[in-house]
Amino acid sequence: MEYLIPDGLSAEALEGELRAHLSCRAESAGDSEIGYYDTFDWALYAAGGFLSQSSETLRWTSRKDASAYAQPLEAQPGLARDLPSGPVRDQLPPEAAIRRLLPMMRIQTTARLLRVLDENEKTVVRVLVSSHSFEDPTSGRSGDLAARLRVQGVRGYDDDRELLVALVESKLGLVKAETPLLCEALRRVGRVPGDYSSKLDLKLEGAQRADAVTKQILATLLETLEANIQGTIAGWDTEFLHDLRVATRRTRSALSQIKPVFPEEILARFKEEFAWVQQATGQVRDLDVYLLAFDDYQASLPAELRPKLEPLREFLLAHYDQEQARLAQALQSERFRVLLGAWRDFLQTPVPSTSIVPGAMQPIKAVADVRIRRMAKRVRREGRAIRDDSHPEELHELRKSCKKLRYLMEFFRSLYPGGAIKPLIKQLKVLLDQLGDYQDLAVQAHHLEDVAERMHAEGRAAPATLLAMGALVGGLLQRQQAARDGFSEVFAAFDDPQQWAQYKALFWTSEVHQTGT
Amino acid sequence: MRILATYNIKGGVGKTAAAVNLAYLAARRGERTLLWDLDPQAAATYYFRVEPKVVGGGQRLLKGGKKGSALDDVIKGTDFPGLDLVPADFSFRNLDLMLEEAKGSTKQLRKLLRPLEDDYDVVFLDCPPSISLVSESAFRASDALLVPVIPTTLSARTLEQLLDFLASQERLATLKVLPFFSMVDRRKRLHLESMAELPIRWPQFLRTSIPYASDVERMGVHRMPLPAYAPLSPAAVAYQSLWGEVRASLPK
Ligand SMILES: Nc1ncnc2c1ncn2[C@@H]1O[C@H](COP(=O)(O)OP(=O)(O)OP(=O)(O)O)[C@@H](O)[C@H]1O
Ligand SMILES: [Mg+2]
Repeated sequence: MEYLIPDGLSAEALEGELRAHLSCRAESAGDSEIGYYDTFDWALYAAGGFLSQSSETLRWTSRKDASAYAQPLEAQPGLARDLPSGPVRDQLPPEAAIRRLLPMMRIQTTARLLRVLDENEKTVVRVLVSSHSFEDPTSGRSGDLAARLRVQGVRGYDDDRELLVALVESKLGLVKAETPLLCEALRRVGRVPGDYSSKLDLKLEGAQRADAVTKQILATLLETLEANIQGTIAGWDTEFLHDLRVATRRTRSALSQIKPVFPEEILARFKEEFAWVQQATGQVRDLDVYLLAFDDYQASLPAELRPKLEPLREFLLAHYDQEQARLAQALQSERFRVLLGAWRDFLQTPVPSTSIVPGAMQPIKAVADVRIRRMAKRVRREGRAIRDDSHPEELHELRKSCKKLRYLMEFFRSLYPGGAIKPLIKQLKVLLDQLGDYQDLAVQAHHLEDVAERMHAEGRAAPATLLAMGALVGGLLQRQQAARDGFSEVFAAFDDPQQWAQYKALFWTSEVHQTGT
Repeated sequence: MRILATYNIKGGVGKTAAAVNLAYLAARRGERTLLWDLDPQAAATYYFRVEPKVVGGGQRLLKGGKKGSALDDVIKGTDFPGLDLVPADFSFRNLDLMLEEAKGSTKQLRKLLRPLEDDYDVVFLDCPPSISLVSESAFRASDALLVPVIPTTLSARTLEQLLDFLASQERLATLKVLPFFSMVDRRKRLHLESMAELPIRWPQFLRTSIPYASDVERMGVHRMPLPAYAPLSPAAVAYQSLWGEVRASLPK
């Protein structure tokens, strides 16, 4: 049981109070400094625990029952998957594997232990009085936290513990500490665990003006984009760039799909600039994709070919720093700074009281209905047109439409009953994954062919390596073909009459009002 | 959970001192440790400053309350993390008679400990001297007997008696017996001679011996385990090495 010691009461005065009523012996319980770690998106907190490190020990503490695991770790933690195996690592959720464990807070503690004694001078209750200060590595801010008193009972001495609890609660009037130290420290710097997520979670109001709501959506995306800049430039882990690119792609999709709500001439420049961001960040992302998949690549080959693939990894890594430097340069450039500044200005400017843009003043729900309807019909039309001998370009087009539809549904999710739209998005993701596999595997295969040629030209690939890469490309193309073969079945699930009835029920409700515009 | 009993037919040989100090050292190494004081004289209980009182006495322990919870209710935390105690009670002087009444009498201790399987890594049973139903129950519950032996001719005879008794008990065939020299005074020729001879006859003798030391006697003044107040004293170091040896000779 832990209590907060009110501001006016010093630890010494408190000790005096306890001594007045009980026979106690006090001793120093030592100083400690604990660093708390989590992934940028708080995956560990979400998985139900705190990860901390102090004096070369890494600890996992469950949020629910405070059960704890420990393992030695001398250095600062890096990527979650690079932690040495051990009981703490076993607790980490799999989705954290590729993320860096970032320092979220440091807390210094000085503690005194009061042992309450009986007439034999036997310890019957332990009372830990601790004072704390914090240091936020992100903002650089620091300060003191409320001191705490913790009652630790001794087995078989429940009466003594209850007596002490009564003294602490009734006589001293201390209140229970409800929040963990970490959360209290975070609150002091205006944060809460879980305050960043890459998932879009917008709460929109359907009756509001379309242009205002669209700005709200875009502003949320801008926040996500900006939150990931530092980690991307520093290369903390691959997901910063990934999230930054997703935010960019969603922004571009919103700009082209939620219309007509802004004057086209204003948008044109932003569209162009965000396309540049997308393009300037592409190279590193490609390398990330290969490197993340590299172990799987190797595993897909027969055992004797696996080591032959190593020069490919080295080649990719050798280009990485250069591409990463280029990326960092782009994100630190004047062009990028100006873009974000102008974009923020635009989003923060209140919408005009009247607008000549036809959709601007409509309720957002009406605009959303129309856009989703159109896109859903387009996906269905394009999908139905695909035959066994269709050109790959057609599947590519279909994928683009699917993505637009998915983004639209995700932007406007809160305007529709959650239970109804969720399965539609989920189903669409299945279709998108299929199309994504089909296209990405082909792109990867052909890119690897290019890389093989370059490696060969630079004299960095022995014939055995080239053969292994050939086998890899073959495997990728085989999987690509499998994705192609599976397409019609996956599409049929989307184009199912019942599924379509769901679309109709959700998005065709405002049709009547729409015919006039 | 491994169960160790400190035992000798003879009294005053250092059984309790060994149980208390080894239990303390085990706990300090991070093993969740329980020490059960089976001796109505309550010496171990005294060393830990616990009142020698078990609610309901031995009777209630053996009858058991709710299923398996009988020991749970009487365990006391000591001043040392990871080390708990089942205190002795004066009524334990009749434990023999009570065991006799209980059916499957010599299985009783084991049965009482079984529910604590997941709570403790090591359990020490500090036995009273002499062969009785209590000690027999402790033998049946234990994985090993730690037998302090003062290196004299007389002690050799009691050790022989003990080993003969154990050999006559089929049910105790797997019990490991680990004798070690206790209260050794290297100025006494008899001690030195016995220490040379006995291990030849009984190779299971542990190599560590505990010296006779006034530091050990002072446990009664400090009322705590020796390594807690004199961690670097020769006797404390000897207990440390004894514990290392005992651990190593136990099955994993
Ligand atoms: N190594 C030692 N050096 C000096 N004194 C010791 C040593 N070991 C034990 N003693 C003392 O000898 C006495 C008997 O020791 P202890 O209680 O440990 O023996 P015991 O075998 O448990 O006795 P009992 O048969 O009465 O239970 C105690 O006063 C104890 O302090
Ligand atoms: Mg004794």
